[in-house]
Amino acid sequence: MADGAQVARQWDRQSLLSLFDPATGELDRRVMSDEDIYQLELERIFARGWNFMCHESQLKDPGDYVINYIGEDQVIVVRDEDGQINVLLNTCRHRGNALCRAEQGRAKSFVCSYHGWNYALDGRLIGVPGQSTYYYKDFDRSRLGLAKARVENYLGFYFATLAEDAPSLHDYLGDVGRVSIGMIVAHGDVEVAPGIMKNVIDCNWKIAVDNLFDWYHVAYSHASADTAGFLDTAAILHPKNQMVMLGEYGHAIGGPAVPADLQARFDQMTDAERNEASRTQPPNTPRIRPKAATELMGTVGVRSHGHPNVFPNLWVTMSGLQVCLRLPRGPAKTELWWFTFLPKGAPEPLKRQIMWQANHIFGPAGLLEQDDGENWSQSTRASRGVASRKLGNHINMGIGHGQVSEGEAGERFVEGWVSEHGQRWLYRAWTEWIAATDWSDLKANHSAPPSGVI
Amino acid sequence: MTLPERVLLHYEVEQFLYAEAAMLDARRYRDWLALLAEDIHYWMPIRRTVMNADLDMEWTQPGEMAYFDDDRALLEIRVKKLEAGSAWSEDPPSRSRHFVSNVRILDVADDEITVEAAFHLYRSRLNTEESNWFGRRVDVLRRAGESFLIARRSLFLDQTLILSTNMSTIF
Repeated sequence: MADGAQVARQWDRQSLLSLFDPATGELDRRVMSDEDIYQLELERIFARGWNFMCHESQLKDPGDYVINYIGEDQVIVVRDEDGQINVLLNTCRHRGNALCRAEQGRAKSFVCSYHGWNYALDGRLIGVPGQSTYYYKDFDRSRLGLAKARVENYLGFYFATLAEDAPSLHDYLGDVGRVSIGMIVAHGDVEVAPGIMKNVIDCNWKIAVDNLFDWYHVAYSHASADTAGFLDTAAILHPKNQMVMLGEYGHAIGGPAVPADLQARFDQMTDAERNEASRTQPPNTPRIRPKAATELMGTVGVRSHGHPNVFPNLWVTMSGLQVCLRLPRGPAKTELWWFTFLPKGAPEPLKRQIMWQANHIFGPAGLLEQDDGENWSQSTRASRGVASRKLGNHINMGIGHGQVSEGEAGERFVEGWVSEHGQRWLYRAWTEWIAATDWSDLKANHSAPPSGVI
Repeated sequence: MTLPERVLLHYEVEQFLYAEAAMLDARRYRDWLALLAEDIHYWMPIRRTVMNADLDMEWTQPGEMAYFDDDRALLEIRVKKLEAGSAWSEDPPSRSRHFVSNVRILDVADDEITVEAAFHLYRSRLNTEESNWFGRRVDVLRRAGESFLIARRSLFLDQTLILSTNMSTIF
């Protein structure tokens, strides 16, 4: 992979690191609009990191495929005859043509529509029309298979990276990334509900990620959903019982949490008692997770009902029933893809209820997300003028008031009021990712989860 | 039905749909709510770009994920949201133009008439944002005195990836 060296000449290491100052929370607005910085992000963040591809339930049989992206590189995510899931760059080795033009489907192989080169489900080039005639048999097919990404999964959630030297997915996720996926799997065996919502917002992808940690905007941005009687924002906010977990490489979780003493009471309950208590508690109260969730998420993570971001761009919602990808499409364009999860054994009415909620909260017509898109696109637009881009964004809420605690398994977290610790952690990691030339540089020069007061 | 009866019904249905479109363009949302049956289902499934061989998976089905899957209470919430004074995605309000054409009556059974139409919803927002949503619409209209109530609206959009920041407009 290219390492952005050409762009990095104009943006040396120090100038990249100085785009965000964790001590003051000031963010240089050019990160939302600069074309060179955007190109660096594609190479040094998206091509290098582990990107969410699919859940195993989306590809049940050999030949089942979905399209996804690593940055702006389109990939085919496909299960082969051996049951393996492959992530193949969707570009024919002959003239670069896209092999697959559908979003999902079933294939026996991928045949290029230009000259008919044929690729197996594992990416091997298995057919070249005219190989023995026009090419005079002088053709080594084994050299020209589709480019493949590295693929690993955690609990059935498949991720891919284009970096050979990336750490394993398990290590990459770390405790916070694993809690994030655990939030979904705490519902038991899950499957993706049919239908992935996709729309394009005229915003920088980072403002959409920044927003998912943002429990400050809820009351104001979403006031109309509250007035209309759709959602009691005060009931979901729990502004004093907030917890932010900070993990390696920029993963973070921010939002409401069950206080430790209350969780201690839950821990005494059987699963049946927890279910009963969940059924009878006030609306908009998160369900009490089953005993098994503590093993999955740890004693700190199990208390979180906030919003995780698996760096760079996978949001898991607090319900643990939806994830949203923020896919970059240029400095001022982002695609949002919403996946909804259903517990496999759940009764039909519960499944319908989960989908009903998912249909009405998020997505382009969602009663909350309608207004988010407007704010993100206008924040992006209003930050790029020659004068307005010289102003910084102020991400300073709670600086110096966050006492970092350490959990039994080493988790680092801050409890207290609504804050912007999550966003600061995101942008701090972001500068480290784009300043590093490769994985060994990033491994050596990234911030460990903090301790003390932040 | 005799030809004159069919022509008359077609005229009544078209005029109803045009009046409804004008109401939405004029932002008369309360009046629009009065056109909805108590048991209305207002639905826009998700469409996928698929190969010819996979057309069986082009649309999500009823009960699966959908952009709109609303009952009357939900549509009232959408209108209340527009009236709330804090619906930032609609203040300044969008300017919309609802076009309905290719109207065909597919079925007449008792007091219910199934109507198919092509729609084009143009939305202009702020100074520079435009959305063009085209699609097929199937409505079930129920006789109510001299007029109709909308008992069902299914919206089959032609876009797969929605090329808009949001869909805060009523279709």
